[in-house]
Amino acid sequence: MAEPTPGTPLVELIDVHKGFGPVSVLKGVSLTVYPGKVTALVGDNGAGKSTLIKGLAGVQPYDSGQVLVDGRRVDLHGPREAAALGIEVVYQDLALCDNLDIVQNMFLGREETSWGTFDEGRMEREASETLRSLSVRTVKSVRQKVSSLSGGQRQTVAIARSVLKKARLVILDEPTAALGVAQTEQVLALVRRLAEQGVGVLLISHNLADVFAVADDIAVLYLGQMVAQIPAADTDRDDVVAYITGSKSPEGEAA
Amino acid sequence: MSEPTTRTEEPEAGLAPPANRFTATLSHVVSDLGRNGIFIALVAVIALFSILTIRGGDSILLRPQNISNLIVQNGYILVLAIGMVLVIVAGHIDLSVGSVAAFIGAVSGVFIRDFGAPWWLAILLSLVVGAIVGAWQGFWIAFVGIPAFIVTLAGMLIFRGLALVVLGNANIGSFPEEYRAIGNGFTTDWFDTGLPLDPLTLVIGGVAVIGIVVQTWRARVARLQYAQEVEPVAWFVAKLVFAVVGVGLFTFALASFKGIPVTLIILAALVLIYGIIQNRSVFGRHIYAIGGNRHAAELSGIKTRQVDFWLFVNMGVLAALAGLIFTARLNLAGPKAGDGFELEAISAAFIGGAAVQGGVGTIGGAIIGGLIIGVLNNGMSILGIGIEWQQAVKGFVLLLAVAFDVFNKRRSGR
Repeated sequence: MAEPTPGTPLVELIDVHKGFGPVSVLKGVSLTVYPGKVTALVGDNGAGKSTLIKGLAGVQPYDSGQVLVDGRRVDLHGPREAAALGIEVVYQDLALCDNLDIVQNMFLGREETSWGTFDEGRMEREASETLRSLSVRTVKSVRQKVSSLSGGQRQTVAIARSVLKKARLVILDEPTAALGVAQTEQVLALVRRLAEQGVGVLLISHNLADVFAVADDIAVLYLGQMVAQIPAADTDRDDVVAYITGSKSPEGEAA
Repeated sequence: MSEPTTRTEEPEAGLAPPANRFTATLSHVVSDLGRNGIFIALVAVIALFSILTIRGGDSILLRPQNISNLIVQNGYILVLAIGMVLVIVAGHIDLSVGSVAAFIGAVSGVFIRDFGAPWWLAILLSLVVGAIVGAWQGFWIAFVGIPAFIVTLAGMLIFRGLALVVLGNANIGSFPEEYRAIGNGFTTDWFDTGLPLDPLTLVIGGVAVIGIVVQTWRARVARLQYAQEVEPVAWFVAKLVFAVVGVGLFTFALASFKGIPVTLIILAALVLIYGIIQNRSVFGRHIYAIGGNRHAAELSGIKTRQVDFWLFVNMGVLAALAGLIFTARLNLAGPKAGDGFELEAISAAFIGGAAVQGGVGTIGGAIIGGLIIGVLNNGMSILGIGIEWQQAVKGFVLLLAVAFDVFNKRRSGR
């Protein structure tokens, strides 16, 4: 495998396996994510990308293998454990509640309370601050219902939600899949800003143009195996496509 | 009664800034009326029947005794509606509440007649049995994953059957006076001054009025502090005056009859408590989240099964309370008790703006919905309209209310 980016890894997966009955989806995957870097995870449909991130999110724990955070071994058995370690996922279907407003969505499942009831002022302030720190100016009011937002705004809220509680690793699942050109630009800029703030970003995408626009590292999954993790600067589009389609493999490569 | 609905919707996006103060006021009036359509409907229904029931220069509907009756007669439906709207917001339904109310009424009778339990213990144990009934249904819904419609349909049959079993094919009658007070009692039963206007009622009504004024004023000041938009002073004052006059007249009506019904005290306490749960507690917020997007709620770390379970435990307790109030009112636990209560409670929630697919609905709305049904029942009875037409009219009103809601949502692009 190619040389990874130097520095202390934020999250390391070592030889993780996951199967569903007789079907083995992850066959010994290793992955390294560094703080302040955008690592893109690419691979064809069915390569195991979703399974890999669900394991990291604690939604579907891995069958075997190690997860290291800051070099320490951790167990991920639920979304709360992952969140406690600073791992947040922004899902492709966004996982927002249309009937709630932006503040309510950003604090869902971790509401701030005082004396048993909501501390609305504090939540509203923190939500606004987080949006401001990400230089989000497209949202008119944080008390807007999410149902009234555009696709790009919803993506923005979902990403802001993930960093609200000082996330250290943010996993973005196809953040630009349903967006137009201008909105894609906005979201990619947001991804860069996350990394600049020192957050480790794991970006899952099918769109190689997006990947090369923001990624520092590119990791390629092929049929449940990690075939490459290479700095984006050391590779090109054709190379990555070859890994994704399986026409190039780590053993036989001449990179 | 204070209005717990704090719908924090922003004004329609893209609305042009009002040109002057008159149009500003007008646009606020229009948007407020649209948002509180259900409340306007209640006022309209009351106005309609007030006029229709005028006999010899006096409106029967607005007689103090009738107003007092209206509350007491509908108390148990309103108690059920509070629980039901939360169940509906989470995307479930509960068809069993009428049967559970009958079952608990019977159980409380047995506690008193056969076990000789004092009234307070009988009430307490009955509420505990209600919680167990709710836990039973909540278990199947939340942890086994059977749809609430099926579980509570089964519950409707099971608990109607068990009510008959407990009663042993006979009525249980004659409950202790204290027990009967929850359905029949008035504050003047304890503090009777013999004055034409009960002073205690006036004091409590006065406190309520002051509470309303202070609360709305503080909300306005807080919005101003956060530099948020506030409604024009004229409309703000008009609404406040309307609320104060309404509560004031209601207070005078009660004070000139027998004082405050115990059922109303129970109801007011429930509305306050559940208003806080709905708007300001984690449990309440999670109910709305689950109704809005169950999958998203789960991914956010909300324990959706636990919320579902406790929601039905809560419904069981409220169904038990409704059963107790009904039994106390009739001074009788009978096999037909609670017949059709579930439908009235569900209607109340939907008339009050709850959405079938979940995520939307308020306790304030459900209470208003329940009052609309109550005024319809009461008004039509005064007019001597037969039960068959009352049923038909109520069905029609339910359909209209929901159709209005659908129309409103479509117009606002959602």
